[in-house]
Amino acid sequence: MSSFHPINPKPFLKTLINKQVVVRLKWNKTEYRGILVSIDNYMNLQLEQTTEISEGVEEEIGEIFIRCNNVLFVRDAIVKKGDAEENGDNNGVDKEVAMNE
Amino acid sequence: MSLQTESQSQEPLDLIRFQLDETVLVKLRGAREMKGKLQGYDSHCNMVISEAEEYIYEVNGNSEPVVKKTEMVFVRGDSVILISPIN
Repeated sequence: MSSFHPINPKPFLKTLINKQVVVRLKWNKTEYRGILVSIDNYMNLQLEQTTEISEGVEEEIGEIFIRCNNVLFVRDAIVKKGDAEENGDNNGVDKEVAMNE
Repeated sequence: MSLQTESQSQEPLDLIRFQLDETVLVKLRGAREMKGKLQGYDSHCNMVISEAEEYIYEVNGNSEPVVKKTEMVFVRGDSVILISPIN
């Protein structure tokens, strides 16, 4: 008898569908902010209304497909109260999902 | 924690399927981008792109990228970072 309910990676990712998410890539801290449209079994990602954030430069790039192997983590983009919007380095750490293949 | 099975009717690779015969921008490893008409692809993101323009950016610098044009090119999927439709 336990009150612990595991939240597994895939069901967790599915709960993020249709929400604003931040996807961090493994390469040079590039991030994508957008609405998660869909995922597949490889955890390839489809985003819409996407903004690319790389070295502090933001660029609107619309609808994108991200190949699974590039992803470091996916997290909910909603910033908790009290956290600064700028630089997602430290906030939301508890929501990060490592997606190693 | 509800599973949104209904909205999962689409999967990410469908975005690419809808771009067949359209112009796409593919971001690649090694500060490269490939722009061209998508002729075909597979589940590894291997792609065949026609009328392709490859942009090779300086690693750290804002100088103009080197552009290489190819009539028809095969791109191996493992170097693909992202794929985006171009209007």
